[in-house]
Amino acid sequence: MNATQPIPKSLSTAASASQFAVVCRGVTKDFGTGEARVQVLRGVDAEVPYCEMTLLVGPSGCGKTTLISLICGLLDVTDGEIQVLGENLSHMSSRRKTAFRSANVGFVFQQYNLLPSLNAAENAAVPLIIGRQPRSHAIAKATEVLKQVGLGDKIRSYPNQMSGGQQQRVAIARALVHDPRLLVCDEPTAALDGKSGQTVMELLRTVGRREDRAVIIVTHDNRVHHFGDRIIAMSDGKVESVTTGSQPVNH
Amino acid sequence: MVWIALKMLTGDRTKYMGIVFGVAFASMLISHQVSIFLSIMARCTSLIRNVQEGEIFVMDPTVRQADEVIGLSDDDLHRVRGVDGVAWAVKFYRGTVRARLPEGGPKGHGDFRSVVLLGLDDASLVGAPRKMLMGSVEDLRKPDAVIIDEAGYFYLFPGQPHQIGQTIEMTDRRAEIVGICEVGQPFQSMPIFYTKYSRAMQFSPPERRLLSYIIVEPESGVPAPVVAQRIMNDTGLQALTKETFRWNTIQFYVQNTGIPFNFGITVVLGFVVGIAIAGQTFYLFTIENLKQFGALKAMGTSNLRIVGMILVQALVVGLIGYGLGVGGTALFFTLTQGAIPLKGFHMLWQVMAGTAAAVSIIVVLASLLSIRKVLVLEPAVVFR
Amino acid sequence: MLFRYGLPLLAFASMMFALRHVVIADQEPPKQPPPVEPSRTPFKSALAGGGVIEPKSENIAIGSHLPGVVAEVFANVNDEVEAGQKLFRLDNRQLLAELEVRQAMLESSRSSLEKLRSQPRPEEIPITEATVQEARVMVEDTKAQFARAERGHSSGAVSEEEYVRQKYAVATANAKLTKAEAELRLLRSGAWKSDLSVAEAQVKQAQAQVLQTETELKRLEVTAPVKGRVLQKNVRPGEYVGIPPGQALMVIGDVSTLHVRMDVDENDISRFKKDLVGKAITRGANKREVSLKFVRVEPYVVAKKSLTGSGTERVDTRVLNVIYAIETKDPNLYVGQQVDVYLDAAK
Repeated sequence: MNATQPIPKSLSTAASASQFAVVCRGVTKDFGTGEARVQVLRGVDAEVPYCEMTLLVGPSGCGKTTLISLICGLLDVTDGEIQVLGENLSHMSSRRKTAFRSANVGFVFQQYNLLPSLNAAENAAVPLIIGRQPRSHAIAKATEVLKQVGLGDKIRSYPNQMSGGQQQRVAIARALVHDPRLLVCDEPTAALDGKSGQTVMELLRTVGRREDRAVIIVTHDNRVHHFGDRIIAMSDGKVESVTTGSQPVNH
Repeated sequence: MVWIALKMLTGDRTKYMGIVFGVAFASMLISHQVSIFLSIMARCTSLIRNVQEGEIFVMDPTVRQADEVIGLSDDDLHRVRGVDGVAWAVKFYRGTVRARLPEGGPKGHGDFRSVVLLGLDDASLVGAPRKMLMGSVEDLRKPDAVIIDEAGYFYLFPGQPHQIGQTIEMTDRRAEIVGICEVGQPFQSMPIFYTKYSRAMQFSPPERRLLSYIIVEPESGVPAPVVAQRIMNDTGLQALTKETFRWNTIQFYVQNTGIPFNFGITVVLGFVVGIAIAGQTFYLFTIENLKQFGALKAMGTSNLRIVGMILVQALVVGLIGYGLGVGGTALFFTLTQGAIPLKGFHMLWQVMAGTAAAVSIIVVLASLLSIRKVLVLEPAVVFR
Repeated sequence: MLFRYGLPLLAFASMMFALRHVVIADQEPPKQPPPVEPSRTPFKSALAGGGVIEPKSENIAIGSHLPGVVAEVFANVNDEVEAGQKLFRLDNRQLLAELEVRQAMLESSRSSLEKLRSQPRPEEIPITEATVQEARVMVEDTKAQFARAERGHSSGAVSEEEYVRQKYAVATANAKLTKAEAELRLLRSGAWKSDLSVAEAQVKQAQAQVLQTETELKRLEVTAPVKGRVLQKNVRPGEYVGIPPGQALMVIGDVSTLHVRMDVDENDISRFKKDLVGKAITRGANKREVSLKFVRVEPYVVAKKSLTGSGTERVDTRVLNVIYAIETKDPNLYVGQQVDVYLDAAK
């Protein structure tokens, strides 16, 4: 279907591909079929540049989560195109997408999604193990990353022995352990108190803003907006505004 | 990933134990009930198993099972001896007689009991018990001598220490216990008495024909089924190898009694309960871990590896549960060996293998349900 | 750690235990040789049957002619007896007494006969002759007196009355003479012939009665009908024997050669041939195998009595009795012993 439609101009330019980690063009997403069909995204155009922290904001149900799911290749677009790290997701098989995620995407979830039966180091090592690294090496690497996120003393602790902020930092360590180029965070501060949220955001900012890396943070937490280099505000399935720095930019 | 799978499995001890003991319970129920059933069936054929010599039983053509005897003519023995390929053939009597206990028995007076009487060929004593607890088989040559089996002694003289020399009456004739032996038990827990064939004729109620079985040993090098067929052709009698006779007997009980049906239901119940407990616990366990699987999927774990993880979990649970279950069954039979009513009951390797198959099916069914749930799981669920 | 490895280890140990149980408990009782090896068929294809050893003459069960109480036994078990040799004797006192009575009666009848035969008694003849002589003299005397009277009558000297009286006196004297002469003749002719015949018959009868008692005395003694050996003795002095006796009083038989009476089942008769080679095997632990020689077939198929030795014998099937001779002398074979007989039916 995509093949029959004309490819939008900006996607075909090499410059835009190298400038942005993620480029969305006319992305629509429907759920359900027939009468029950709901259009969640109605033609989203958005870019996520490298070396920046991009916030995706908007009220509940505006389609933020759907959009990042599409960006990660966890869902398929109904229409439109998404290019991630220079590769067109629409052209990938689901197996290729799984491998792509494993290699290039780090996740931070709202509920942390740590495995309760693994300790901090083991949890953080999971992406390396998925990437078929030897266990001892993976845990060593994870321990290193945990120290970077300030959890050097919690390496052997289990999730139920840690506070929410600590758990989220373990989740961040897990997201970073395999050195992904794209970091996707879904409401990383929603379950945290203000202070922990600030700490987490600072940490993300520290580790995320690097050469050839991009960070997408979905949030509706107003307290952390000032951490964003670019804020994409969504409403009712569409991009409402894009703000760079502290200046909103009309699209 | 196997490591993560195992960590996930053992992480919650309560659930882990729940699944393991579900499987253990199911495998114990199945193996135990099937073992008891087969042991009871084996008791039906104890007469055949207890005869450790010869390979063929010759009987009247209308005999359907081992405990249902119809007399042969004494001359049939010689006719069987004349068949090509028969090395030797001897008489064997099996009958039910009433034995009168000595005065001053357990109830203070001489009770009557039905007992199984086995008459052994006078010269060769073929069919004699081999495991003697007291006395010896040769003592049967003494006047009025009979040998009783251990369980029978227990039934007739409960609580009394083993001792020989006790006299009882059989069909108004005196019989003296000269030995106690250990043999396989009959289906109806009746005492077994061994004596010489000629004496068995005196003990047995008068009937025109009393020869129950002829036990035949084929010439070395001639297969038993061939000789059995020849005997049937030449004499018109029914000649069965021990193996065939045992299966015929078991088949008779299966077709004519409710025992197999009842046990069959128990086994099916065990299977269903096994699936219900183990399967459901395992399924619920997977459902509860769905979010974790979703996270793993989101982080780039392929479906194949997820399936692998679930199968590893199922395999471990199955193996441990199975081991505990069959071990429990074995323990039961080991501990009950001392109890006379359960003597000789045991688990067959076929039962162990069959239980393994049943547990595999339970585990595979349970994991298939779980796998399906995980495979259709949208990884995007992690964002909700 | 204990939990993580403990449970699998426990499960493993438990499974090993189950395996051990399965291996140990599920052992089929192994096939064993019989406590005593049963007699094996000596031929590839055999015609088998039970048999009983008997003497060449078969078993002769001696009976008694008469009932009575045994007085004396002459032969003992295992004695070799000749034909006619006395075996035992019943009490004979009554018959001996009877014999004496009868012998006396014989003597008596014989005497009666002799008495008749010795008539007339010689001493009686002269008496009768004298009577005749007396009568004759009387006749002469009366005749002479009459003659005188006649003369006197004619002369009238003598009365008529006297004359008649003298006349009849002569006639009377003549009659008396005739009677005396007849009596003498009767005496001289001796006993009457018919009386003699009766007496002779009586003697014969008495003789026969004596013989009869003697025969009965002989019948109280039982003798061996043939030459042979006493195999069994069931009589002892003082025992009463009846007719017919319940059991053989003595069994004798000719054991110079032993025979085996073999039962061939009626179903197997078609397989039987007269020239089959046979072997008999004794029962029990020390088996003996003897070769057999065909003697004869009993032409009558008999109802078989089971040889179980039980009190009530049961008719089973009908069997053909075949007699074989045991070729080898074996002191350990006894009459009445049961053997398993095998005939080589392969030919």
